[in-house]
Amino acid sequence: MTMPLLKVERLRKSFGDHEVLSGIDLSVNEGDVTCIVGPSGSGKSTLLRCLNHLEKPTGGAIFLQGEPVGVRWRGDRLYEMSFNEMARQRQKMGMVFQGFHLFPHKTALQNITEAPIIVKGTPRHQAEAEGMALLEKVGMPDRAHYYPRQLSGGQQQRVAIARSLAMKPALLLFDEPTSALDPELVGEVLAAMRQLAEEGMTMLVVTHEMLFARDVADHLIFMEGGVIVEQGNPREIMTSPRHERTREFLARVLPQAV
Amino acid sequence: MSRPDIHDVTPVPVRRYGQQFGAVVLIVFALLFAQNLATNQNIQWPVVAQYMFAPSILSGLGMTILLTVLAMVIGLSIGVVLAIMRLSDSRVFQGAAWAWIWFFRGVPPLVQLIFWYNLALLYPDLSIGIPFGPKLFIWDTNAVITPFSAAILGLAFTEAAYAAEMIRAGIQAVSGGQVEASATLGMSRSQTLRRIVLPQALRIVIPPIGNDTISMLKFTSLVSVLALPDLLFSAQMVYARTYQTIPLLMVATIWYLVLTTVLTFAEHAIEHRLSEGSPPSKRSFQKRLFDMRPFRRQKEFSA
Repeated sequence: MTMPLLKVERLRKSFGDHEVLSGIDLSVNEGDVTCIVGPSGSGKSTLLRCLNHLEKPTGGAIFLQGEPVGVRWRGDRLYEMSFNEMARQRQKMGMVFQGFHLFPHKTALQNITEAPIIVKGTPRHQAEAEGMALLEKVGMPDRAHYYPRQLSGGQQQRVAIARSLAMKPALLLFDEPTSALDPELVGEVLAAMRQLAEEGMTMLVVTHEMLFARDVADHLIFMEGGVIVEQGNPREIMTSPRHERTREFLARVLPQAV
Repeated sequence: MSRPDIHDVTPVPVRRYGQQFGAVVLIVFALLFAQNLATNQNIQWPVVAQYMFAPSILSGLGMTILLTVLAMVIGLSIGVVLAIMRLSDSRVFQGAAWAWIWFFRGVPPLVQLIFWYNLALLYPDLSIGIPFGPKLFIWDTNAVITPFSAAILGLAFTEAAYAAEMIRAGIQAVSGGQVEASATLGMSRSQTLRRIVLPQALRIVIPPIGNDTISMLKFTSLVSVLALPDLLFSAQMVYARTYQTIPLLMVATIWYLVLTTVLTFAEHAIEHRLSEGSPPSKRSFQKRLFDMRPFRRQKEFSA
């Protein structure tokens, strides 16, 4: 039996008295695209942000390639990782944000080459060659020397995807990557993501794009109220959901003719 | 009486009689002042011209520039460290930075200069050693504290306190998303600070730092109380001998105005160049600038 790339066990997260995640179990196999859907406030984004410890989980365990995330055994005692130890693990989990968060003082290409150069010590010329190849992949080699504010939202998000890929992560997390975009710009970002999926990138995508989830995802997770209500094959869930709550959600969000 | 068609005529603009009257008054005052400057024999323009480029005045000018540059460089360096301490999770670091800012913003620079200069009365010698243990190196305070070093200490430490608050506000104006994005790329804390946060923060802090530099240039005139030959003191030395008080003060005034004008243009040029990048919002910076709560709990991303 092969080990899943990412395994989450009994993950919990509370903000003060408010429990946002109440025991999440999931696993992601290498090469799989997993989409997480659910109403707002269901804990989808928090789940994603706990995986790379942007939020510190309240309880439970996360394993990336079998290695516990954010903690480390020394003998039989478990220690929290320092920020800089955590950084090594974060490199393996790229993240694409709803708000892009490109570095405004750097060009598209510099955004992409920054981390490989200063974190990995990649020689500049090599990082730039790889960065150009990534810009090519997301369809905008002609924008390499533009600053983020000179790019449209869709272009910025594609640069952000290229920036994550530059660190050659084992897993790419997408936190509502198209929710901040004008409707006519959503397509270009989804196309870039679809292409990545076809190339075998392992992706965990929190999204509202049900058609993307249906067509691209290998696995669909429906969350509500901090728990996973239902998960499985996207087409099966969308055509015949087993839970009443899934059915209600799908009735609200699915376009008429699926 | 037949009116023309409304489409054929332009309306007569509003006359602002009050404003026109005020302008005339101001112009009259300006002319009177100019005439007075030109004709008042007490100014002694020939004497002004004679001393404008006198060696002692020029070396005083050099001292003023040197003090300004050194005080700003040292002050900003300490200010960056203090700003980062203010934003630390540790209450001890926050408290130490807060205490520095509280003290050096609270004590007038003139009092500080005199205090630093008289440090020997408080501590006759300075030493490095093991705390509560033996001393390893000892210096005579009077040898270390010269008028120059006392001036630099007083001016730079005060500047550090002001710069710290501005830089802190600048750092806080950089969005948290930038820090999170850096973290997900595997950057360490110091890499994030040096490569991502500070370059953006310093961009919005440039205009207030420019203002501070102009203030500092003027504050350096305080060092004349320590008999340090800056621009003002050099002028004073001359008129103490020749009693040409007003002409020499005119010389100093003109030089100060020249320097502040140059600095103002330089600041505008830098600001203009930086505005081509896209700094975080100025409003957010201004909102945070006056936030002086001590021991604030920092809500930072956890890791």
